[in-house]
Amino acid sequence: MIKYGVLKNTAVESPLQSVSAIKPKSNSRKKKLVAAVILTSLIDAFSILVIYLLVNFSNSGEILYISKDMVLPDATQSETLKRSTLVKVEKGKYFIEDEPVSANKLVQRLVEVKKRLVTSKAEDNSSLTVQADKHVKYKVLNQVVLAGSHAGFGEIKFAVLAN
Amino acid sequence: MAKQKDLDTELSLISFISLLSVLICSLLLTAIWVHVGSMNVKQAIGGQSIEKGKKNPAVWVKFGKGGLVSFQLQDAPRVARSLQRKVISGAADHTIDIVAVNDFVAKLRTKIPDLKTALIQPKSETVYEDIIMLMDNFKKAGLIDLGVAPL
Repeated sequence: MIKYGVLKNTAVESPLQSVSAIKPKSNSRKKKLVAAVILTSLIDAFSILVIYLLVNFSNSGEILYISKDMVLPDATQSETLKRSTLVKVEKGKYFIEDEPVSANKLVQRLVEVKKRLVTSKAEDNSSLTVQADKHVKYKVLNQVVLAGSHAGFGEIKFAVLAN
Repeated sequence: MAKQKDLDTELSLISFISLLSVLICSLLLTAIWVHVGSMNVKQAIGGQSIEKGKKNPAVWVKFGKGGLVSFQLQDAPRVARSLQRKVISGAADHTIDIVAVNDFVAKLRTKIPDLKTALIQPKSETVYEDIIMLMDNFKKAGLIDLGVAPL
């Protein structure tokens, strides 16, 4: 069996059996069926994987949690998303930092958030990140745009999928 | 006779494999597969030109029904009438005719190199994806200062 195929080149003598005190087989010409796995190709594949993952590595972490039902619009000219106050629109409901808020209390809650940001001297206290599904109508987003404007958030960052 | 030392040494690959496996596992766990960016816009409630003092040319872009998009130039007096106002009808499938829009924006940018501001006025039924698509194409054409108007 060893004489044929891949095993012919990769079969090795067992080092343990050659030093055995009971029945040493160091002089035995017969090869044992111990196949040495060719590791070079495995290491090549692992190295390529590591390099690919290192290139794609981002230390900024996930800023947004995107649920399974939400598809963000695509954009090629997007900018790097930085952490700011997040307003999420999901299934017609509004969330400020994952906390559900009714549409008529959106302004009030955003004003509170703005006050808190100003008091704590936060780095970015004038921008609002909007996360919404790409099929949402503007009348739904308009509430957020208006509320942000009333609360003093001058810049709106629409979350998109960067291509 | 002295036995010759074997120069054909072997590297112990097991430690390499262990190290690479650990690295792959940790990188796979921390990898970000979906890259999220942002499309930054300002509130277009008449603040942009006032805050700068000098009136820069701007283009108002209004959404209509069936993919219709209309352009109206502001503070750009020395431009041909055909460029001052333009209505681009939607495509056959009632979506925005993005090729025609891009052509017109390119023409505007050629005639008015200072034009960097676009203020978008969507309708209540405008789909969010269309607004982002328009913004993306405007940014590509060099209109970097974008604004969106509330209803």
